Amino acid sequence: MNDSIRRQKLFHRTVLVVDDEAVNRQMLGAILGTAYEVLYAANGREALEQVRIQKDLISLILLDLLMPEMDGYQVLEELRADPILRRIPVIVLTADRSAEVKSLQLGAADFLSKPYDMPEVIQARVRHSIELSEDTRIIQATENDSLTGLYTREFFFEYAHKFDRFHQEKAIDAIVLNFNRFHMVNELHGREFGDRVLCAIADGIRGILEETDGVACRYDADTFFIYVSHRSDYDHLINSVLRRLGEVMNTPEMRIRMGVYQDVYRAARLEERFDRALQACNSIRNQFGFSYAIYDMNMHEREVYSARLMEDFPTALETAQFQVRYQPKFNIRGETPRLCSAEALISWQHPEYGRVRPDAFIPLFEENGLIRRLDHFVWRETARQLGEWKKQYGAVIPVSVNVSRVDIYDPDIVSFLLSLVEENHIETEDLLLEITESAYTDNSRQIVQVVSQLRDKGFKVEMDDFGSGYSSLNMLTTLPIDALKLDMAFIRDIARDNKEMRMVELVLEIAAFLEVPVIAEGVETKEQYELLHQAGCDIIQGYYFSRPIDAEEYARFIMKEMALRTKEG
Amino acid sequence: MLTIEKLKAYGADVEDGLVRCMGMEDFYLQMTEMGLKDERFETLGKVLEENRIDEAFEMAHALKGVVGNLALTPIYGPISELTEALRHKTGVDYQALYRQAKAEKDRLDDVLANE
Repeated sequence: MNDSIRRQKLFHRTVLVVDDEAVNRQMLGAILGTAYEVLYAANGREALEQVRIQKDLISLILLDLLMPEMDGYQVLEELRADPILRRIPVIVLTADRSAEVKSLQLGAADFLSKPYDMPEVIQARVRHSIELSEDTRIIQATENDSLTGLYTREFFFEYAHKFDRFHQEKAIDAIVLNFNRFHMVNELHGREFGDRVLCAIADGIRGILEETDGVACRYDADTFFIYVSHRSDYDHLINSVLRRLGEVMNTPEMRIRMGVYQDVYRAARLEERFDRALQACNSIRNQFGFSYAIYDMNMHEREVYSARLMEDFPTALETAQFQVRYQPKFNIRGETPRLCSAEALISWQHPEYGRVRPDAFIPLFEENGLIRRLDHFVWRETARQLGEWKKQYGAVIPVSVNVSRVDIYDPDIVSFLLSLVEENHIETEDLLLEITESAYTDNSRQIVQVVSQLRDKGFKVEMDDFGSGYSSLNMLTTLPIDALKLDMAFIRDIARDNKEMRMVELVLEIAAFLEVPVIAEGVETKEQYELLHQAGCDIIQGYYFSRPIDAEEYARFIMKEMALRTKEG
Repeated sequence: MLTIEKLKAYGADVEDGLVRCMGMEDFYLQMTEMGLKDERFETLGKVLEENRIDEAFEMAHALKGVVGNLALTPIYGPISELTEALRHKTGVDYQALYRQAKAEKDRLDDVLANE
C-alpha cells in the first residue's frame, strides 16, 4: 500500500468547498465525497465563519474567486492574516489564468480549472496539497525549537552542513552563546520570565541571521549555536542580542558569554569547530554583562593537555602520582594563633609534566566525573593519615576534605564516609567536609538533605568559596552548615576600608548571625592577616602561615600544638 | 423529461459531463435540471439592455461555469464568448452573443419538452 493511501485510511480529512453555484459545489462534493468529509459554503463570508469554527478539522479549502458578499481574494487575505488559519492550504477554482498570479501572491497552494478536470486529477491535486501541508507542518514542528523558533540541534547540524556545501569558499564562524547560570533566572523570576529571556536572545540572533547568511539553533536549555559568515568583530551580534535582552531584563542581570571558533582554513569538522567554540565559551566563568572568547592555539594546546591528563588519570592513581598535602588552618581569636585544623589538598606529580597545578585538572575532572574517584582517594588517604596521627599523638586535629558536586548525588556517600571513620578508628567530627557554595545554589533541596544526614552522623560541614555563588540571605538561614569559608578572591584585594574589606566585614556579620565561625583562606601577607584579625575573623589559612605540605612536615605542626596543649594542662 | 439520449441528441458532451459526475447518470441529470432552471438565463438579457456591464459579467461568468461543468457544449460556446467580451469590455455586440446563448438554451428546453 503506498504512503498516500495508507495516510488516507488513517482518518478522514475534511474539505471545505466554497462556490456560489450549487451545481458546482455538488459536483465537487461528488468527486471528493468518497475520500473526504465535505463541507460547503456559498460565499466568502460563510466560508470564513466555517473555517473559524472548524479550523482544527478542515484540511483544505477549494475556493471559487467570483462570489457575492465576499469574493475569494478577500477570503485569501483574511486567511493569510491569521497565523493559525494561514496554515490551511487553499486550492483556487478559476478559469482565468490571470487570476493565478494574484492568488499565488495571496497564498493559494494550487489551482483547478473550470470546467473541472477529470475527477482523478482533482482528487490527486487535493491529496497532494493536503500531504504537502501536513508534511510541512510535521517538519516545522520537528526542526524548530518550539520555544524560540530556531532550529533544533539535530536539524541545525543538517542545515549547517548544507550551508557549507553552498558556501565552500566562505570563512565561517562557529559561535556558542550561553546565558551563564541561567537556572538562577528561572529560580528568581520564574519559568515564564526565563522563557522570555531565551526568546529575546533568539530574536537577537535571528536579527543577525536576517542580515547575513547563517543558521542557528537552541542547542540546550540556555545555550545557542550560531553558524555565520566570519566578521572581524562581534559587536554586531553582541549588540543585537543585548538590545533584545534589554527589552525584557535589566542589564546587571545579564550574564552572556560567547565562544567563537573562527574557521579560516576549514581544517576541522563542523562538530569539532563547535566543540572548540564551546570550550572557548566555557573558558569564561561567572562574569556579568557580555563577554566573549575566541578559540586560539593556547586553547588548542590546553585541549590536548587536558585530554592527556584525563588519559593518564588511572595510571596516576595506581602509581601513586597523587599525593595528599595538608595546609594548616590557624585559630586567631586568642592572643597567639593556634593550629585548629588543616585542609587536605591534592597534588599530582606527573612523570612528564612535573607538578600539575590542581586548577588544571580539578575543573576538568569535575566536568567528566573523574573527580569522584579522586575525592574518594583523598578521603581514604586523609582518614588513614588521621588514624595514624591519632595512634601516634593520642588525639586528632581535624582535617577537612573537599566534597564535589557529583559526590552529593552519590547515594552511598554517608555510608562510605562512615566506613572510613570506622576503619581508621577516628570520629566523624575529625573529618571536616568542605562543600562549595555554588553546589548549594545548584540544587539546594538535594544538598540540604545530604548535608543534614551527614551532620546527624556527627560530620561538620564548611561552606567553601562563600561569596562566589549566589546564596540568598534567606537561603543561608535555612542551610545546615558549621562554618563559612570566605572565597579567596575577596582576601586577595583587601585593604583598609576598601570594598573587598567591607564585603569581608559583611560576611563576618552574617556568620555572627548564623553563629558559625568564618575561615579566610588564601591569606598571604601580614597586612591581610592583621586586617582579618582586627575585623574578628576566626580562622586563617594560607601562605602567611604555611603552604600545603606533606604529612611528615605537617606532623611537626601537630606536635607543636600537642606540646602547647600538654603545657596548658 | 430529461434523459441522457435527449442531451446527446441536443449536442451536449454527455461523456464529459458524466465523468465529472463520477459516472452517475441520475446525478448528472439532476444537476443539469438544476442548472437549466437558473433564472439568470432570462435576467441576463434585461441587465444587458440596461447596460449594467459588471453585473452582466458576473452573471455570464456564473452561467459559463455551470454550463461548462455540465458540458452543455452548444450553450457553452456563446456564453464563454460573452463572458470574455464583458470581462474585457470589448464593446462588441453583447446582445447578439446573449441572443445566441439564449437561443441554444431555448433549443435545449424545446428538446426536453418533446416527449
